[in-house]
Amino acid sequence: MPASLPLSLQLAWLIPLYGFSGLLLALPWACGLFRRNGQRPAAYLNILVTLVAVVHGSLALRDVWLSGPHHISHSWFAVADLNLRIGLDLSLYSLAALELVTFMSLLAQVFALGYMDKEWSLARFFGLLGFFEGALSGVVLSSNLFLSYFLLEMLTLSTYLLVGFWYAQPLVVTAARDAFLTKRVGDVLLLMSVVALAAWAGSMEFTDLYSWASEAKRSGSISPLAGTLLGLGLIAGPMGKCAQFPMHLWLDEAMEGPNPASILRNSVVVTAGALVLMKLMPLLQLSLIANDVLLVVGTISALAGALVAIAQVDLKRAFSYSTTSYMGLVFVAIALQQPAIALLLLLCHGLAKALLFMSVGGVIAATNCQDLTELGGIGRRMPATLSAYVVAAAGLVGLLPLGCYWCYGQMVEALSPTALPFAVVFLLTNLLTAANLTRVFRSLFLGAPMPKTRRTPEVNWLMALPMVSLTVVVLLTPLLMQRIDPVPGIASFSLPVGLAVAASGLAGVLAGGLIPLNRFRARPIADPLRSLQNLLSYDFYTGHIYKATVVAFVAGAARFTDWLDQRLVNGLVNGIGRLSLQSAETLRLSVSGQLQSYVLTVVLAILLLLSGLSWWGGLPPLLPGGLAAAATEVAG
Amino acid sequence: MSLAELPLLSLLLAIPLAGSLAILLWPGTPLPEQLRRVAIVVMALQILASLLVLVPFDPGDPELQLREVHRWVPGIGLDYRLGIDGLSLPLVLINGALTLVSVVCTREFSRRPRLYFSLLLLISAAVNGAFLADNLLLFFLFYELELIPLWLLISIWGGAGRAYAATKFLIFTAISGMLILGAFLGLALLTGTVDFSLTPVTSERLAMGSQLVLLGALLVGFGIKMPLVPFHTWLPDAHTQASTPVSVLLAGVLLKLGTYGLLRFGMGLFPEAWSRLAPALAVWAAVSVLFGSLAAIAQRDMKRMVAYSSVGHMGYVLLAAAAATPVALLGATFQMVSHGLISALLFLLVGTVYRKTGSRDLEVLRGLLNPERGLPLTGSLMILAVMASAGLPGMAGFISEFLVFRGSINAFPLATLLCMVGSGLTAVYFLLLVNRAFFGRLAITPVDDPLRHARLDVQLPSVASRETVPAMALAAGVVVLGLLPSILGELSEATSTAMAQVPVLLAAIGQGGVS
Repeated sequence: MPASLPLSLQLAWLIPLYGFSGLLLALPWACGLFRRNGQRPAAYLNILVTLVAVVHGSLALRDVWLSGPHHISHSWFAVADLNLRIGLDLSLYSLAALELVTFMSLLAQVFALGYMDKEWSLARFFGLLGFFEGALSGVVLSSNLFLSYFLLEMLTLSTYLLVGFWYAQPLVVTAARDAFLTKRVGDVLLLMSVVALAAWAGSMEFTDLYSWASEAKRSGSISPLAGTLLGLGLIAGPMGKCAQFPMHLWLDEAMEGPNPASILRNSVVVTAGALVLMKLMPLLQLSLIANDVLLVVGTISALAGALVAIAQVDLKRAFSYSTTSYMGLVFVAIALQQPAIALLLLLCHGLAKALLFMSVGGVIAATNCQDLTELGGIGRRMPATLSAYVVAAAGLVGLLPLGCYWCYGQMVEALSPTALPFAVVFLLTNLLTAANLTRVFRSLFLGAPMPKTRRTPEVNWLMALPMVSLTVVVLLTPLLMQRIDPVPGIASFSLPVGLAVAASGLAGVLAGGLIPLNRFRARPIADPLRSLQNLLSYDFYTGHIYKATVVAFVAGAARFTDWLDQRLVNGLVNGIGRLSLQSAETLRLSVSGQLQSYVLTVVLAILLLLSGLSWWGGLPPLLPGGLAAAATEVAG
Repeated sequence: MSLAELPLLSLLLAIPLAGSLAILLWPGTPLPEQLRRVAIVVMALQILASLLVLVPFDPGDPELQLREVHRWVPGIGLDYRLGIDGLSLPLVLINGALTLVSVVCTREFSRRPRLYFSLLLLISAAVNGAFLADNLLLFFLFYELELIPLWLLISIWGGAGRAYAATKFLIFTAISGMLILGAFLGLALLTGTVDFSLTPVTSERLAMGSQLVLLGALLVGFGIKMPLVPFHTWLPDAHTQASTPVSVLLAGVLLKLGTYGLLRFGMGLFPEAWSRLAPALAVWAAVSVLFGSLAAIAQRDMKRMVAYSSVGHMGYVLLAAAAATPVALLGATFQMVSHGLISALLFLLVGTVYRKTGSRDLEVLRGLLNPERGLPLTGSLMILAVMASAGLPGMAGFISEFLVFRGSINAFPLATLLCMVGSGLTAVYFLLLVNRAFFGRLAITPVDDPLRHARLDVQLPSVASRETVPAMALAAGVVVLGLLPSILGELSEATSTAMAQVPVLLAAIGQGGVS
């Protein structure tokens, strides 16, 4: 490492540790060692270390801006031919992503201070958020597949703990279980590929892996089957993290967790998953199938997620499915080799979705209700929340010239000459998302107040501060994008494309504005509409399908193994034991005390033994008589 | 007298043995608590001695070090020969630590405290002896020496079904001992030596057929002890009936005798036959892992579940031994150590739950994480322990499994992938354990309650420090080893690399001979 490297970059490895240190700092309060002043000090300490992380990250970003990208690498564990390293990639992209992560974490933590005001175990929550932030900042900085895997798994663990934060509630218990197991399936598949790559390619640095992959492709040293399996394993991890079909179920259930964690989960966690996928892309050249799978999965997720979102009555779930849908678009963009646009889309979606969840959190905090059918008419009394919602929605939909509009435009422009169907997918998703956002807007903010929304004060300043700040940031996103990607500019698409995107958004808004929300009309009573609504609101019955297939299979296999174990293996063991005991019991009865019967037994036994030996060992028949003769005959 | 001249290895045997005798013969009628303190002091001394071994120990030397050789019964080839290397040193350390844990976490026993503590220390001495022995017969003596104390510990201080479980354990382990002795004697007879010292290439002179028979006997013998499917059925019964400290020792230390024997004697004495059998062993490992993990999912008793998880986790060691690459063998050492720590922690926590609630049934227990009336600290440590066992990074289980898989995937890709599936299944059953027993609303519903009235007014007594302190120490060990694996890697790397070289060298010699 050159001595001239600025201090902020030399110490860049500290940035993920700030988050992890937040966990340690919160422990004394979480364990109840300090009880005197409540648990707020733990929250303040966590916010402080996150602030340090933001400042350090900005300094590092400035230094990289001035002096170009750097790479720092540390040996972690080296044995035999295995060398596991900790590598951090200090480029503009990764540091910008880091800034997004730490900044959002900061906002979410301040928001949480207001949102979770009366929470009894605030310290545990902030400690977990710190852990979460640490793992997340590590993932975006990592330049090394092993480290990425390591941190992704930590992210799985912290997601489990955050979703299960209110562990006493039954829905939370299943949600935490599903979140962990779904992600774990993706992680184990990813681990298979990581282990295989560690054995085949040696180094785990992404750059080395890229050169290994192109070398392997050129020389054909990896069989197509192995390459395909490798690629499928690699995309399984990000698929789980980004809640893509068919591993999307957890994100929707995870909405049972506290809202501030949902803010992060729907914006930066899925972004981190997609960033890992982008880093893995050059390895997927070994298998064409993996790329096709990405396309199919992305398309299904984009459209189905947007459709399912429309049928949700739970406020948070309506938007978590939309996250699945947007990540589907990102997958499609990545699979079609448009990483730059995918990055922009991730940024815009992350910011706008976080704002959307903050505004949703504001509504939930004010009403203690997240059922859309029980909400309404709160627009006039919650202006900050209303404006946050509107700005976030505008930022997500391609209609007004905010973030996602430009992304949609560029994407459609790039795809329409070569892959028109996927351009249509983008436009359709835009339409459906716009319809969903408009529908929710109407039932939240318009109409007459409902019983539960008669008194809805605006959120407290701790929630309003991050919400309004993020509102401004989302409004300024286009400028930010212009700065990141000055050439060819964010508006590098033709007028018809721009009009098409705006038209799809407008159509969506109109559709969302016109569908009946009246409680008696919103639930159709006759087929096929009712079945369709059920199909969508139950998420294509994915949960039921899982229960009937995967879960039933594993449970059945477990029961079968248990049966095998108890009846067959253990039964055999017990059987032998019982047999020996019983034969002893039986033989005991044959003890008569008569000498002649003992002699007879001995003679018979000797006879049997000798004849057996003569048959088996070819000994000369010692005894005359039928038995020995027959034995030799058989032997002969 | 410098440290290197001290008979450190003999001290490792003598300290617990002397402690055991002292406790047994202590004059008067000491209180159980006093005996416990004496045992703690003895174990602290033993740990100190094993830490002193680290000073003269040279991690770069793959051979047995600090050798102590005395003639004992030369006529039958039984010598008092001790030595330590990178494979046995971590196990000796674990043995000291876990015996201390089981002494510390012992609750007041109304029955025969003297015998109890004396047996615990005797086991520790015997296990140390088995790990340090550089003579096959000496190993066998120590291997058998540990059997009777454990049998007594289960059959005197065990649960309601202890007679069945203890007898089963005794018969299984006795058969295991006979097979091992038979293999050792067979090796000596067939090679015509009376020298039972550990020299790996003596089996070379034998025909492959006899090598395979002898190795098969060793495999079954140590396979019972590890245990491997289908010789595992004694383990769940023994664990469910044994008291917590005994379970800690059984899972943490005694199972390691099986894996250690497999590596040291199975692989070390019969390298040729071993490489011949390796593909079958890999299949066996995968079967064992999947069988253990699936059976664990079906368990309702938390202790049985942890016991079956041991069956699964020991399968990884067999897989690593079958692959026999340097990384895999280092992974095997790691897996032994991390399984020792993690399973000890799990049994400790399950024991705490059992004593506080009177149940280990996953259908009965709910919501134990409750902060005021439940067991929040035990629950938090349990989450850490199950995550470590499921191979989550940052804890010892992950790096062990990663090394095993990374070292084995080239040799046996399919078996390795199946073992990884087993690692995924570990997450399933342990997550179910945590979700059922610790999450949800605190309620302990007795199964025999016909109306299934949840007992919602439970107020569990708080956990004493003698249980939380060892648990936290073990948890700290699990995390430290997970974050800084080099600590252990440096100790064991030379030995495991050298062990992996033996088959390679033999193959080279064989090819040289043919050409």
